[in-house]
Amino acid sequence: MKKLLTITLALLLVAGFAFAGGTQEVAAPSVLKCAFVGGANYEELYKEIPKWEAKTGMKVEIVYKGDGFQIDKKLKMDFAAGSVDYDVCWDHSSFFTQYIKADGIVPLDDYFSADELKDFIPMILNSGKRDGKLWIIPRHFDISCLHYRTDLFQDFGLTVPETWDAFKATALKVQPNLPAGVYATEFAGKEEALTGRFYEVLSCEGAEYFDKNWKPGFNAPGGVKAATMFQDLYKAGAMPPGMTSFVWEDVVKNWVAGNIVMYTEWYGWYSYFQDPSASKVAGLFDIARQPKGDAGVYGGWAGQHAFSITKASKQKETAADFIKFITSAESQMVEANLGILVTSNSVWAKIIVEAKQAGDPLAVKRLELAQFQAANDFRTPPLVAEWLPSSDIVYPLVQAIILGDKTPKEGLDEAAAKVEAMMKDRGYY
Amino acid sequence: MGSKEKQKKEKQKHSSVMLEERRLPVFLLLPAAALIIFVIAFPMIYSLYLSFTNFTLVSQSAPKFVGFRNYMLLFQDSVFLPALGRTVLYIMITVNIELVLGLFIANAMSHVVRGQGILRTILMMPMMFAPILVGFQFKWIFNDQVGLVNNILFEIFQKPVIIPWLIQKPLGFITILVAEVWMSTPFMVIIFLAGILSISPDIIDAAEVDGTTEWQKFIHVIVPSVAPFIYIALAVRSLDVARAYDLVSIMTGGGPAHRTELIWTYVYRLAFTSQNFAIGSAMSYITVLIAIAFTFYFFRQLIKMRKGSGV
Repeated sequence: MKKLLTITLALLLVAGFAFAGGTQEVAAPSVLKCAFVGGANYEELYKEIPKWEAKTGMKVEIVYKGDGFQIDKKLKMDFAAGSVDYDVCWDHSSFFTQYIKADGIVPLDDYFSADELKDFIPMILNSGKRDGKLWIIPRHFDISCLHYRTDLFQDFGLTVPETWDAFKATALKVQPNLPAGVYATEFAGKEEALTGRFYEVLSCEGAEYFDKNWKPGFNAPGGVKAATMFQDLYKAGAMPPGMTSFVWEDVVKNWVAGNIVMYTEWYGWYSYFQDPSASKVAGLFDIARQPKGDAGVYGGWAGQHAFSITKASKQKETAADFIKFITSAESQMVEANLGILVTSNSVWAKIIVEAKQAGDPLAVKRLELAQFQAANDFRTPPLVAEWLPSSDIVYPLVQAIILGDKTPKEGLDEAAAKVEAMMKDRGYY
Repeated sequence: MGSKEKQKKEKQKHSSVMLEERRLPVFLLLPAAALIIFVIAFPMIYSLYLSFTNFTLVSQSAPKFVGFRNYMLLFQDSVFLPALGRTVLYIMITVNIELVLGLFIANAMSHVVRGQGILRTILMMPMMFAPILVGFQFKWIFNDQVGLVNNILFEIFQKPVIIPWLIQKPLGFITILVAEVWMSTPFMVIIFLAGILSISPDIIDAAEVDGTTEWQKFIHVIVPSVAPFIYIALAVRSLDVARAYDLVSIMTGGGPAHRTELIWTYVYRLAFTSQNFAIGSAMSYITVLIAIAFTFYFFRQLIKMRKGSGV
């Protein structure tokens, strides 16, 4: 009998431990737990955290760090499983609508006064709003601009394209003159990187990715024109044959290796591009505003990294105080000094003055152009939780169009039918 | 009477001790069983349940039972069936190539008298790498611009050769096959070598006395003798390949345009990026059934063979 009792107790213990794993509690009040994006440049900002700890007497514990897609997966899993054990989480303008739908984050309007938000660039701050509520506080942002090789443009007598039509014509014109292994242009050719670029160009050409009823509109003529541009450039050999396997880093490597004449790129890489020890194009390139399309709209696919407060947090005021500190002008200077595009107007004013004093005209142009684009062209993907699921449907079909497996109209109609079925399934109509 | 009662009591005591002794192993196994149920059976049953619901990762409402809807949707999905067929093809091709290569290499190694240990260690090296690393390695080897293969072709032909190995049909599929075969053939070799070394020298001697050639000896003596090892290795590898994900995910991500899509790359995309856990679960169960079918087939062959040979 004793044995039986012991065994039963052991079993209860095992079960107890097992169940305890599923019901985690948010940190004790003296510890603020965070789940952040990690790696390379992202880490520098976290070195500022001890200042907030010294000021408040709190301890910040970063319970998770991963790249954007890893942390997105973690947040979705945690919100679904109800196992959130952190107060502040990384967020992103492309992803936060998912977390709203999953009931994982809270609106921030009650925690931030208008005065506390006035220094943020309005177009960026507004991209974190949904249904009239503010859900994310911007940390930094990125937007693309046209990068082109000044030496090659001069050699081949090219002019900087201001429209996507001119962009395509320029690429097709220059490609036959280029040596093997050098390409007129290229894009990241898979996953959200491809869908996002497709979304950007079709918006310029007057199409909508989703209409106001959340029905896909990317198979309209503007979308077909955008997909046709990708297909024509690939067919003509003006993009590398392997581009449909490229992610951002692959494209960047080709650019710094001197294998691309012009392409659209995020600002964030600037210091790398200008480092002669790592880049063959240092001092040999210039930048311009993204081309525009038939609708007169300039390219401006953009995104912001941000912070949110989890619904599970038991110390939302403290979490908000931490976010105010980590997104303050002082903290943003850390990232601004790394060449990252920050979201505070006062920091912008300061770094532009500093760049002018440093006597680097391209650095000044870069900052002024980025600020101009942030104020005029900043456009996030559709603010809907189904952006990524729709992207997963669309990008393989855009790849099929690029590779010539399908005509643009055929591929986009197929994608639209699938996206519409998915949206219907999720209760949008 | 007294002695009868005593005997009866003795008997009762004996049977209660026997009962306790019989129960004891069961009780001792209970914690392990409970743990297994919790970590294996519960998630499996739960995901089976999810496959019959409309659960998505971001839905706030409780999952709603939808019957076989997810399974039916899958069979109407233009990506799923080709991915399923490709997965079965992937299993069949890799496992068969590994089988043939494994048998030949193991046979050759069994003839090595000196340095067999070192050879075995070298041969096992691909198995020591995580599939994710093998994926990165082969992604670089087959990279169209800076990859090893295109560079070798450049050296041979003395002009730039830009073959998009990971992109073109059917090259993309072939490259992931090559990587899988490179990584896992050593497993087959080790298993078959153990089998070959366990063959009685008398049988080999008898074959040699009968004047068989090396080829005849290999086909008619060695292969039949290691048949049980073959079936076990095939079953293990089929299960393993049916789970293929890391390597393919790194090399091609199932693309481009689904050209190298296998079931697990598609499951991952549907379940995590597309948030559709329910359909992802349904697809996982279909894959599990295929893996079970392969294993069942190989074990049935093994049992049939053992019965036939009287082993």
